[in-house]
Amino acid sequence: MRRPAEASGTAEVGNPGLGRPMGHDSLLHRRNPTVKLGVLLVVTGALVAVLDPWTPLALLLLAGPAVTWAGALPWRVVLRAQAAFTPFALSVFLVNAVTRPGDVLLTAGALEVTGAGVAVGASLAWRTVLVGTLSTAFVLTTDGARLMTSLHQHARLGPQATFAVLAGYRMLEQLPERWTTIRQAQAARVPPGRRGRGRVRGAARAAFTLLVVTLRQSQRMAVSMELRALGSGPRTVHRPVALGRADALFTAVVLGACAAVVAASAGAGWLESFGAFSPP
Amino acid sequence: MTAVRRRAALTLHELVLLAALAVVAGFLYWALVQGWLALQVAMGPFGDLAQNVLAGGWMVVAPLAVFIVRKPGVGVVAEIVAALVEVVFLASPVGPMLLVVGLVQGAGAELAFTLTRYRRYGWGVFVLSGLTAAAANLAIGMVRFGWATQDWFALRVALQLVSGVVLCGLLARVAGDALLRTGVLDDHAAGRARLASDAAADSHAVAVAGEGRP
Repeated sequence: MRRPAEASGTAEVGNPGLGRPMGHDSLLHRRNPTVKLGVLLVVTGALVAVLDPWTPLALLLLAGPAVTWAGALPWRVVLRAQAAFTPFALSVFLVNAVTRPGDVLLTAGALEVTGAGVAVGASLAWRTVLVGTLSTAFVLTTDGARLMTSLHQHARLGPQATFAVLAGYRMLEQLPERWTTIRQAQAARVPPGRRGRGRVRGAARAAFTLLVVTLRQSQRMAVSMELRALGSGPRTVHRPVALGRADALFTAVVLGACAAVVAASAGAGWLESFGAFSPP
Repeated sequence: MTAVRRRAALTLHELVLLAALAVVAGFLYWALVQGWLALQVAMGPFGDLAQNVLAGGWMVVAPLAVFIVRKPGVGVVAEIVAALVEVVFLASPVGPMLLVVGLVQGAGAELAFTLTRYRRYGWGVFVLSGLTAAAANLAIGMVRFGWATQDWFALRVALQLVSGVVLCGLLARVAGDALLRTGVLDDHAAGRARLASDAAADSHAVAVAGEGRP
């Protein structure tokens, strides 16, 4: 069995552990985590209102190389991450293509592929891959514990909530190992003739055991945190996270680039919003 | 959070419990995402409906958290932290929009308990919680993916409501009862309520037995 240090993993290139960034340094690694999360939230939130296929595609063609360069990410890692979102993107595209009213492009059995369906489907599919690319870049360049510290420092997240989530993070690091242990214990008890049966039931039992064990651990953690008076008042921060001009510049560049693409798309007459859901 | 603080502030003890619940939920939600991707491929061209079949499973932590802690806002907090865990630590492909989705789903699931002023935890309230959670999730899907104008909207609504009741509402109650039996909740509102009702039943039994004495 893997030992905890191996299971949680040191941040080796290509295989960052839970909540750990890739081990190298880059432009994106150095940005303030709260700022990065905020920018990502604004961009992905604004994308919800964009429903033509061209704008998300243009943004994707810009974002792919941009995050690969700014995060010094191996392009294979970025491509592999994008491949992971492809089944979902494809399925969203197919379902929209055949379920939306509009002028019929072709008929396949009982299903009618419409122009409006293809356009909206392609838009949602590109959006899926784009958001996936951006979140991958965020996760590969951001340390989870630093993000919590930064949220406490810069987003006024209360000390109690910060400590609670950080405690949760410690529990999370041990979950994969716990899960393996529980599953191995279950497997050891199954008679040889019955292996492979009742998989869903076994997984559900393991999930419940995981929940109980983690809740017991949380009780012990809460008691020891209260003994140290964590969360009873303001405290200083170990290794504070910097917030500076470079973060403002980063925000301006990213939001400016996105706004420029949207403006260019509007100028070319491509941009469409919620009207695309119900064509005239 | 202000609404939470006004009447019933969460203690550190409760917040750590919520974090633990959210972490396990985030981990299991992430596993559910893998199952969802498989179901999606298995359903072929109708794969997009797979998310409605499983949707309830992604909201189960909200009613469970309310059942355990019994204070306003905890369902929303648990869902948001679970979403945070998925986005920040487990790299969910949905991205930070999941935080907004978690907020809406949590609020939807908690609505049923708010309507009963956090005093009733019977099966009916959990069924209602599943229904309100499903309705909230449908509303979000209508904005994000334009479900309302698709041909299969009625099918989506039906799948979603069934999924909400079974995988969110009823599953939360079943899990909550099972957790109570393990004794792990004895320090929390749900465990105290059970101990109090057990003690009341015992004293009643003693009183009845006492009356029967010669």
